[in-house]
Amino acid sequence: MALTMTAAMLQASVVFAQQVEPPKSRFEVGIGVLWIGQEPLGAKTANETTGGGGALALFNTSSELSSAAGIAARVGVRLSRSLVAEADASYLKPQLRIAISGDTEGAAALTAAETVQQFTVGGNVLWYLPHVSRSRRVAPFALAGGGYLRQLHDQAILVETGRFYQFGAGATYLLVSGRHFHTKGAGVRADARAVVRAKGVALDGGTRTSPAFGVSAFVRF
Amino acid sequence: MKQPLALVVAAALVLGQSSPALAYLKFGVPIQGKQVTLKWAQTPVHYLISTAVVPGVTSTDFQTTIATAFATWEAVPTASITYQLAGVTTASPGQDDGSSVLGFQSRPDLDRVLAQTSFLVDASTGALIESDIFFNAAFPWSVAAAGETGKYDLQSIALHEIGHFSGLGHSELGETELQPGGGRRVLSAEAVMFPIAFSAGSIAARTLKADDIAGISDLYPDGGFATTTGSLSGSVTKDGTPLFGAHVVAFNAATGLMVGGFTLNTQGQFSIGGLSPGAHIVRVEPLDDADVDSFFDTTMNTVDVNFRVTYFDRVVVVPKGGDSGQVAVTVVAK
Repeated sequence: MALTMTAAMLQASVVFAQQVEPPKSRFEVGIGVLWIGQEPLGAKTANETTGGGGALALFNTSSELSSAAGIAARVGVRLSRSLVAEADASYLKPQLRIAISGDTEGAAALTAAETVQQFTVGGNVLWYLPHVSRSRRVAPFALAGGGYLRQLHDQAILVETGRFYQFGAGATYLLVSGRHFHTKGAGVRADARAVVRAKGVALDGGTRTSPAFGVSAFVRF
Repeated sequence: MKQPLALVVAAALVLGQSSPALAYLKFGVPIQGKQVTLKWAQTPVHYLISTAVVPGVTSTDFQTTIATAFATWEAVPTASITYQLAGVTTASPGQDDGSSVLGFQSRPDLDRVLAQTSFLVDASTGALIESDIFFNAAFPWSVAAAGETGKYDLQSIALHEIGHFSGLGHSELGETELQPGGGRRVLSAEAVMFPIAFSAGSIAARTLKADDIAGISDLYPDGGFATTTGSLSGSVTKDGTPLFGAHVVAFNAATGLMVGGFTLNTQGQFSIGGLSPGAHIVRVEPLDDADVDSFFDTTMNTVDVNFRVTYFDRVVVVPKGGDSGQVAVTVVAK
């Protein structure tokens, strides 16, 4: 009896493994929440020229793009047993904050702010690492990608464009497997990334790295 | 002469009001009840060089230095104004003869005036007919490349006066401190058009700043100026009352450049043009770093300087070829 049960369980495991291992389905569509951490944008001083050719600071500024959460969506296609290419897009509304201090005439320090709308469109390559996981439902992966960054200042009167690059790792957790209507499975995904934004509202035109976390639900076809 | 010297513009006092148009300070004249910006209708603007000389500055030195100063304004890529030397003359500046003359004159009675620009204006159009610049020979002058201790740099002062010659008024982008014996010492300036000169020996004012460039470009815009730059406008109030004569500075948080303007009407409104598109900080300060009548005709308007330096609490975005939208700044009394 015990032997029979063990054999049955093994058989079930084999079947299940075939269903959850790196996507056997061809397409995956996901939507979720993306959080990107604060991006320091550098400091700038309002300098006036002295008679000797030096500088006198009228005031100092320090700028950042605040952390923000928004929505993200993606469409992926399986390229091979362990490789998936995906296109993704996101929308967030961080704040551009400029802290003012050290006024030469003693004005109170203040942080001026405005809301920026940030859109990204890009692509990633995911490399699934099934042998890393102990669970048949969990499929860890590493990702790398990049794309186009579009940031609109308050009231959309000025558009700033740039690029972003990202790399990180995450995992999918398959909640439903097997064929249901037209789908081949559904689950959730979580990942952590380092996002490098170049240009855009970056006041010095430089590139800076921020942490990012994403959680999403997906359906496979 | 140990006192700091004011670069007084005769026209600013005589013609009075500034134009309520964009930014900085442009000279304006009332014509048929309407304020008209003072500018040259045609370029190149022809000028004559006086043969009068002073110790340490030969006629050739003078001509070369003045040409360099004119060329500095001409080199502004977003402005179209050009100048042309029409020859030398024995005539003195200040004669209303239709010719624009630059030269030395000894005016020891003007003991704080290094140089002065005067205008002859077409009373029907506001167009400039003549503009003369005299450099006060009562002071020591230098044309040395590195400047000379105790002498005023002719190129720096000429650059300032040619700004007036072209139609620009004074800028308030500078800091001064009162001297025990009266007058002010300039600590810093970020505009050649600041009304008070650096101390003798300084050559720091040979380079145009963002404020000067915005001003001359606004007066004589070249092709892309209107489409590549933007403006920032709004109003300043104190206790609910519009404030006249407040100095408003737009600081570009990306470039670090500053361009100043003033509230120029009884509604306390201001508009600063020629700004690089992008995020700006707005700082409002009282007009207390030079005599108020260096900027405005105080017989016609009362300038309120009793308020604290104030920053607008939002980042103001200047679009390309457009305006920021109205920025309402409230200041409080000191």
